[in-house]
Amino acid sequence: MDFSISPQHEIFRRTVAEFVEKEVTPRVSEMEERREIPREFYARMGELGFFGLRYPEEYGGAGADSMMFAIFLEEMARGYISLAAAAMMQCLMGTNFIYRFGTEAQRSRLLVPALRGEKIGTIAMTEPGAGSDLGAITTRAVREGDSYIIDGTKSWITSATRADFFTVAAKTNPDPKAGFKGIDMFLVEKGTPGLSVGKKIAKAGAVASETSELTFNEVRVPAENLFGGKEGFGFAALREMLNEIRVMTGALGLGLARAARDESITYAQQRMAFGKKIGDFQAIQHKVADMEIEIELSRLAVQYGAWLIDQKQPCNKEAAIAKLFATEAGVHAADEATRIFGAYGMAMEMTPQRLFRDGRFLLYGGGTSEILRNIIAKEIGI
Amino acid sequence: MNVVVLIKRVPDTETRIQIKDGKVVTDGISWIISPYDEYAVEEALRLIEKYTGKVTLLCLGPVDAKETIRKGLALGADDAIHLNDPAFEGGDASTTAVVLAAALKKMQYDLVLAGKQAVDEDNAQVAIRVAELLDLPHVNSVIKLDLSDDKKSARCLREVDGDRDIAESSLPAIITAQQGLNEPRYPSLKGIMGAKKKPITDWKASDLGLDPGTIGASGAKLEVVRVDPPPARPPGKLIPGDAATAAKELVRLLHEEAKVV
Repeated sequence: MDFSISPQHEIFRRTVAEFVEKEVTPRVSEMEERREIPREFYARMGELGFFGLRYPEEYGGAGADSMMFAIFLEEMARGYISLAAAAMMQCLMGTNFIYRFGTEAQRSRLLVPALRGEKIGTIAMTEPGAGSDLGAITTRAVREGDSYIIDGTKSWITSATRADFFTVAAKTNPDPKAGFKGIDMFLVEKGTPGLSVGKKIAKAGAVASETSELTFNEVRVPAENLFGGKEGFGFAALREMLNEIRVMTGALGLGLARAARDESITYAQQRMAFGKKIGDFQAIQHKVADMEIEIELSRLAVQYGAWLIDQKQPCNKEAAIAKLFATEAGVHAADEATRIFGAYGMAMEMTPQRLFRDGRFLLYGGGTSEILRNIIAKEIGI
Repeated sequence: MNVVVLIKRVPDTETRIQIKDGKVVTDGISWIISPYDEYAVEEALRLIEKYTGKVTLLCLGPVDAKETIRKGLALGADDAIHLNDPAFEGGDASTTAVVLAAALKKMQYDLVLAGKQAVDEDNAQVAIRVAELLDLPHVNSVIKLDLSDDKKSARCLREVDGDRDIAESSLPAIITAQQGLNEPRYPSLKGIMGAKKKPITDWKASDLGLDPGTIGASGAKLEVVRVDPPPARPPGKLIPGDAATAAKELVRLLHEEAKVV
């Protein structure tokens, strides 16, 4: 049992923290207002090697472990959830299938520039009628000669308006009994006839990480764009990635909780009420102590999940716990921060209201807390 | 060309320094490369990117200074010498310079860069002492550094009281960095991962042929008797009453108590 963090991980944590402090934090209000992430952030983060973090050097990556990835996301989320979420998409969901199952040509055309921040990749799974119940998606992919024809509508697609390539979940087996197992994943590039990006979804949190609808109207892609090369393969690959998504979303929750705690401490040490600093009251101290407890336990859960992923051990239960506990910790800490700030907790010029809104965003992707409890219960045989 | 950069491990500038029994408590401090030294590392990396060659870090510090050295290697330096011997500890600017100079005598270099001072003790002495011991030219607090085409001399821009001066020096020389020389890069993740494979060589007093009596605590001319935090700032004074009365009282206090008007 060894809980120490290597010097490499520590140096990297400081690097990301410094990037956030110097280059992200000063621009948060601008991004909140514009409701988008300036494109130059992609080039900059690519240049710093963030996007290639978990990929091998031959594609321009760094070959780092999951702990490094979790540290990256935690520090990013501590600064700004919108940018952290867009980065996670680019590092993991948006590029993972093309790395694992793409052809060499697809990798050099799309993956390599994506890791440099020159191209943007995203994943399209959710539909208006299917989120956590992914087996209920209705987007279809039908083989026709050397092609697949894709039809359907996707929703909540991160960065869809600017994405260069999409990893799309579609049913190759429409039998309702097949459910999740009837899903396969396809590569669809921007500009493919029949692919259209719909309106942006106005949302309360993570506002600069834009999400849109996406429509497939007889979109024809070459058969080689079926990831894994054969039908009935996609769901297993997706399930494997789901654990990583969950642990890493937990890392986002952990970063958000830290931001809420730090804001709370600073404010409680300044704000006076009833003749003292509010931080001198036990009611406030206990709120902050609870945040700290949940932060420390979230960190253990996230790091354990990351370690299990690196050990290639099964971790359905642990990943679900990490995501659930750490994102709820983020939501809880942000809620408490808005209370510690009193009415200023709602003031748009202060940070807690943003943490409060952004925290909610973490509750859905990768499975809601309710779905995660189902998984945990099932894993322990109930 | 070979550039050697002198780096020092110092407490993170955001550390809340605690003092106990007349000494700084070092437990729990997080350590960084002294910020002025970071400018020196960055400048060395830029020179090597332009002229090709090698950047070597030279650091005197305790065993765990290795982590700080790794940060410098992560930024892109090629290798490092760690002057790592309990005999070096407890020294002052003078003994530190003696050890660094002895190490530099064993090394090949065209240029030595360092920060103008370390941000822990703010001595601003070490680099200039090393230059003196090695009989090398020294230019301090440089904000722009250009080498001649033949790389035999350096042109250094410095800020002096509201104006600027230009110093030219033959090389090798010891040049120290002032804020403004450049904007240091972040270590890239690839750099961080690669740093653990880069060589750090340990040199002890015996490797440098130094007599332990002349270095570290035994050679130091400066004795730190005790360290005290600066006195707490006294609370401000609030003058009550309406504006007219308060202003009168303020003038009286400025005149009679603070004696500034």
